[in-house]
Amino acid sequence: MELHLTLVFNGLATGMLIFLLAAGLSLIFGLMSVLNFAHGALFMFGAYMGTWVYILIGGWDSPWGNVNFFIGMGAAALIGVILGYVVERFTVRQVYGNHLRQILITTGVMLVVGELVKVFWGPNLIRVVQPEFLTGNFMVGDVRLTYYRLFIIIFSTTILVLLLFMLKKSKLGIVVRAGVENSDMIQALGVNVRKVFTLVFVFGTVLACIGGYMWGPYQGQVNPGMGLDLMLIAFIVVAIGGLGSVAGSAVAAVLVGLSEAYMAYYFPPGSLAVNMLIMATVLLIKPTGIFGAGR
Amino acid sequence: MKTTAKETGTSYTNGNTNVLPEPERKGRLLDLKSLTGKRVTWIIILLLLFAVPLLITKNSYLFLLTNIFIWSVFAMSYNLLLGYTGIISFGHAMFFGIGAYSLALTARHVPSGEFGFLLAILLTVGICFVLSLIVGLLSLRLRDTFYALITLAVATIFVIIAEQWRSMTMGNDGFNFTATLSRDLFGFINLLDRRHVYYIALIFLIAMFLVLKRFIHSPVGRTLQAIRDNEERVASLGFSVLNYKLISNVVAGVMAGLAGVVYAISIRFVSPASVLGVEKTIDVLLMTVIGGVGTLLGPIIGAGVVEVSSHYLMGLANIHPIFERWVIMFGVVFILIILFFPAGIVGTINQKYKSKKRKGKSHE
Amino acid sequence: MTMLKINGLHTHIEQFHILQGVDLEVPEGSVTVVLGRNGAGKTTTIRSIMGFYPNMKGEILFKEESLMNSPTYTIAKKGIGYVPEDQDIFAGLTVEENMRVAMRKEDDKTFERQEWLLGLFPDLKTAWKRKGGHLSGGQKQMLSIARALVNETPLLLIDEPSKGLAPIMVEKVMEAMNVIRETTTILLVEQNFMMASQLGDYFYMIDEGRTVFDGSMQLLLDDEGLRKKYLGIA
Repeated sequence: MELHLTLVFNGLATGMLIFLLAAGLSLIFGLMSVLNFAHGALFMFGAYMGTWVYILIGGWDSPWGNVNFFIGMGAAALIGVILGYVVERFTVRQVYGNHLRQILITTGVMLVVGELVKVFWGPNLIRVVQPEFLTGNFMVGDVRLTYYRLFIIIFSTTILVLLLFMLKKSKLGIVVRAGVENSDMIQALGVNVRKVFTLVFVFGTVLACIGGYMWGPYQGQVNPGMGLDLMLIAFIVVAIGGLGSVAGSAVAAVLVGLSEAYMAYYFPPGSLAVNMLIMATVLLIKPTGIFGAGR
Repeated sequence: MKTTAKETGTSYTNGNTNVLPEPERKGRLLDLKSLTGKRVTWIIILLLLFAVPLLITKNSYLFLLTNIFIWSVFAMSYNLLLGYTGIISFGHAMFFGIGAYSLALTARHVPSGEFGFLLAILLTVGICFVLSLIVGLLSLRLRDTFYALITLAVATIFVIIAEQWRSMTMGNDGFNFTATLSRDLFGFINLLDRRHVYYIALIFLIAMFLVLKRFIHSPVGRTLQAIRDNEERVASLGFSVLNYKLISNVVAGVMAGLAGVVYAISIRFVSPASVLGVEKTIDVLLMTVIGGVGTLLGPIIGAGVVEVSSHYLMGLANIHPIFERWVIMFGVVFILIILFFPAGIVGTINQKYKSKKRKGKSHE
Repeated sequence: MTMLKINGLHTHIEQFHILQGVDLEVPEGSVTVVLGRNGAGKTTTIRSIMGFYPNMKGEILFKEESLMNSPTYTIAKKGIGYVPEDQDIFAGLTVEENMRVAMRKEDDKTFERQEWLLGLFPDLKTAWKRKGGHLSGGQKQMLSIARALVNETPLLLIDEPSKGLAPIMVEKVMEAMNVIRETTTILLVEQNFMMASQLGDYFYMIDEGRTVFDGSMQLLLDDEGLRKKYLGIA
């Protein structure tokens, strides 16, 4: 029983972190039909930039360690804004409407951004530790849980709730949901869909960068391979959850997180295969994903 | 042809999936003189290529050329998907890797060189055939973008298998099998002689080029291109789009597998990173796009450009470490090509050549 | 005054030359009907006005201002409402949200207009919280029209509002349009000649991508031969 509680807890934490990566990917795909292959590289760049700042201003050892952690997160978010804007404006925007060229150009961005990480921070992994207030464990009954995982779950759930609330209630959210269905029609109603595209792309990139930054202390390191690995998982999540559905991404992310946690315990090399199997099953039954609208 | 979306309020999502350049049309209307001229050029090029091992004795150059030939075939097979079918794979290297591992493993475990070699080819063709069929059936009926995603995932599983099955593959380290390569394959081929391997690769390239050319100009190939240009129209004419895409997928998969077999002979070493990784698919994607998507010669030119420049850029790493990051330059070039020259080197030259000829004619 | 004027409009969609010279004039305060066979280019004409096609030649003037090369959203913002052929209701959004997505300002004036429209289409009020995807065909049509009119809309483009509707719904839509026409100029594409002739002041006949004939609706009602030739009806 304790084992399962621990695994479920770990799975939730992993899943909610993956959700941060997948939410942007899903919205970008749903709204603009862009399968963004650069998303993983952007996630990684955010992770490195945030970690670099975190370490640069003193890291976890200084008396300001807790504050430093959040400054690092801010840096990750900031670079997300910049990268998201630049990538959308100068590459993705040029090829809207053409799926093939979109995939190609985001692949190009993935190469460049991924290599830039190695240029700036070298090809080796960088160790990173969580701040003091998130270090250590607490007990629930007989089960030992870590604070950092709890933090991830609370943080990401907050983002999820805010995101769902915005999509549900705000004008922009309604426009985005309408745009996911039919971007021609919202233009005919006088909405500049390009602006919405840029906004959503930037927003998705910021979420990815923050997620990447939080991934660092979770794994104890950031490395140049993390982008591709996690992007694949995020893709699987998006496919399972349904393109364009934030709630679907959250459910699928938790599902995948749980399978990762259990496989990590029982048979680590098989975790991707299990996730693939889940995806294949979902797609065979419902090609638009669990929460996807049939289009 | 709309290549860049302008700031007009046009449809972003319902647009064509493919605005890639048309394939080069065979110059059927060329007069006899220039046709023979073209033939003569080809024959001279081929003769030169066959004479290279007699003229160049430096093994490293032979090695480079050999690899260019093999990568050309790999890129040609990729181009069949990207350029002639309009689907984008992120897992093409799995076929290449399967071919390479097949040869490596048979070379190591099968004592008879001939039998091992034939077994490697048989295994490669068989596995690649079945695998490409399964992957195609799984993914091609979904939205077009899913193909990219599913091929990436399946290929990653193969990487994991190669990494984990240590008893068979030696994991991440890979293994070298120089010692067990046959020195008298079929009595006259020495797989350790760079010149012999050079000729194998060259003949392999020529054969595959001819096969692909036939295929592309066959009714099946033409239907594929029609699907690429307008899938709905072809479907509405009663063609089974899925079947045609499956054929293309299988041909491309088997071809890539065979390229992997020859590549293993050339580099005498296999590891997940050197023959199987996603990076290899991206390499071949770069070659295809840089050379010219949807052109017969594009992948060959692309393979040459990428191989030669990466060879030299890597050499420059001693001068400045920035050159270790040569991939970044390819990334930038790649993005620029997609944005401004979507037809690649060969496609762009073809367009220039065509428009020049058209101008010339209008002056007459 | 002329609300909308089209001169020699040519539209290409991909490699196809769909419109090959459409001329059209919509006087202010009128209901002008575009008639023609299936595939004559009626829908393409309306969509061209909305700027959906990048490849156009000719002239489109809205209140003497050119709409050529303007993106769709600015065309809509100038005060042109668009009701597409298949209504394009956002299926995942409620009726309320469908209206809200269209609002350019959320001020008292806009909400007053919304109330007025709901008075015109009481069915929408009862379905207010229902998802667009769960509406009946008639309700979708009403919502699509209401959505297009929630902002100040001097000109309304409607593409086949009677298509696929039950006769009773056609009746309701027509009644509403008779109210709307008092404040809004309408360009109507309609296959249903009964509806077209009852609403229309003027007509334009389009055939094979060209304007071939135009005049007052009375002219067409009087000329059976013309109706037969271009519409296939007596």
